[in-house]
Amino acid sequence: MAGEYREYNYVAADTIDVSELEPLDPETKQIMKSEFSTGIKLTLFYYVFILSIPILNWYAGEFMFSRMWGGMTYSWFFTSIVAMAMAFVIALIHTTLYEKRLKKNDAEQTSAPADGRRIG
Amino acid sequence: MSTFLEPKFLLTLILMGTIVYITYLTKRSATASDYFVGGRSFGWFTNGSAIGGDYLSAATFLGIAGLTYQLGYDGAYYAFCFSIGLTLLAIFVAGPLRRFGAYTVADFLAYRFHSRRARLAAVAVVLAISGFYAAPQLLGAAQILSMFFGTSYEFGIIFTCSVMIFYVGIGGMKGTTLNQALELWIRLGAFLLMVGAAIWGGLHYQDILASINEFKGTITGTASFTSDGKDIPFDGSVWTGTGNYFPSFWQTISMTIGLSLGTIGLPHILLRFYTNPSAKAARRSALMAIGIASAFFLFAVYLGVVGRSIFLTGDADPAVMKDLFAGGNNMVVPSTAQALGGEWLLGLVIAGAFAAVFSNLSGLFIASSGALAHDLYATFFRKNITEKERVIAGKASIIVLGVLYGILGLMVKEASIGHLVALAFTVAASTFTPIFILGIWWRGMTEKGAIAGLVLGLVSSMYMIFFKTTLPEFLQFNVPGIITVPIGFLSVYIVSKLDRKVPSDVNEFMKQVHSKESEAA
Repeated sequence: MAGEYREYNYVAADTIDVSELEPLDPETKQIMKSEFSTGIKLTLFYYVFILSIPILNWYAGEFMFSRMWGGMTYSWFFTSIVAMAMAFVIALIHTTLYEKRLKKNDAEQTSAPADGRRIG
Repeated sequence: MSTFLEPKFLLTLILMGTIVYITYLTKRSATASDYFVGGRSFGWFTNGSAIGGDYLSAATFLGIAGLTYQLGYDGAYYAFCFSIGLTLLAIFVAGPLRRFGAYTVADFLAYRFHSRRARLAAVAVVLAISGFYAAPQLLGAAQILSMFFGTSYEFGIIFTCSVMIFYVGIGGMKGTTLNQALELWIRLGAFLLMVGAAIWGGLHYQDILASINEFKGTITGTASFTSDGKDIPFDGSVWTGTGNYFPSFWQTISMTIGLSLGTIGLPHILLRFYTNPSAKAARRSALMAIGIASAFFLFAVYLGVVGRSIFLTGDADPAVMKDLFAGGNNMVVPSTAQALGGEWLLGLVIAGAFAAVFSNLSGLFIASSGALAHDLYATFFRKNITEKERVIAGKASIIVLGVLYGILGLMVKEASIGHLVALAFTVAASTFTPIFILGIWWRGMTEKGAIAGLVLGLVSSMYMIFFKTTLPEFLQFNVPGIITVPIGFLSVYIVSKLDRKVPSDVNEFMKQVHSKESEAA
């Protein structure tokens, strides 16, 4: 099985200057780019939310610590309720997008004939 | 009632019996793959539960509610920071790591660079993080035993280490995973019952927060517990704002960085993704663990508020009042359970707390055992080791670790569980997090860069934790992530840029960890 454990070769592998590296093959490059792009967008959005809480707490404390529901303040609500849901929602979006891409990849592989030519 | 028929004894004995039974069923570890990664046979549900079990340690089950009880908003902020990390791990690391598919965290570096030096540096960091993480778990177990079963702190440490040596040493990763999954659901059940009992008892979140917020004065009935014979003063308006733990904005940001990035570098969590059969299952496991963790953190903060509310009213059972006062913040969950549901709920919570400790410790034991037996012994001392000898070395290393962690546990008697774990997160965020993120996504990372990142990240975080007072005041952070995480990332980046020597097969590595699922699974 690919990805199964294997013993590694400790005979010093050759090293080359990073500028002499061959470009990555187009498929791996495309997968990495697409995965990283999705991940970084979600992470940036997530961190804007995450960091906005302490920033608002310190610089707009009057609003953040005013009450919105009984004794619950906006800050308490966003920190201990919304943030917990947000962690799951971000991960869910990421997993859903990943599985969608996977499905598309599998469909393309199934429909493509072995010799690379389309039939009929 | 006979002592052994008391709910706390009965439920703890049932838990122990189940652990022994599962361990017995899974005791046969014929190959190293069985022992270290459970034969890579666990689906997303079992592994998701086990990751949850691994992640939601005593720090979550006992510590978060305790910190909220003690610090108020700042305690809730701890939970918020802990909740971020698994999501980032799922986004950047889970899938690629499974496609890589080895036994240990150090394998990743060794293979990425064909480097024994990198493996050695990784082993040192795995042991440092695991030690930092294991000590507070043992502290929690010893405190529970001493508070509810009357044993000494030292006995608690020795007892817990003995259980772990049996449980991990015999069951290996298979037994550990199944036990962790079961233990997670025990904890979740205990929390759900506590939350249900609190709501049933009219302790609605918004109402009790209001009553705490408005409380200003002394807490009736606490005079007999204090050394000066006076009731304890309390100011609810301070408790519900920032400042009980974080004295400045930058302290808050530092904590957010340290905890949010720490999860990506925790060896026992990283290791779990090797046990899935495919990268897709690894991502689903992470998603499930995040869902469970989010629910846990939500409940933990609420229960901390409930605990504070019960303490403030001063009309709880005197024994509960005493426990809430004398038990410190680590024992708020059991005391609150007793107040909400009597002896049976207390019994379930105590069993759940043991489950939390065992679950997390077993993950740490397995990760460290891999580092000692597989990365150190089999790589540096016995190169031609057989499968059988590798498993025996793994089991022997569990005994060594039991003794080492036991000594650490004895050294942290007075510490806060939640805070110690926060420090372990900071060390992980400053060492493995840069290595894994850059190693997976950047071809330009070199061996020297990786080793520099591990060494400087480890040294800077350790120094800023242990020798904080030797630094200028503006550098004295409770959780120093704001300084040490950039040190970790920058040292990898700068040294790699200066070195420029990358392995000639780095493209093959990238192809392996980013290949299409159908090719890898």
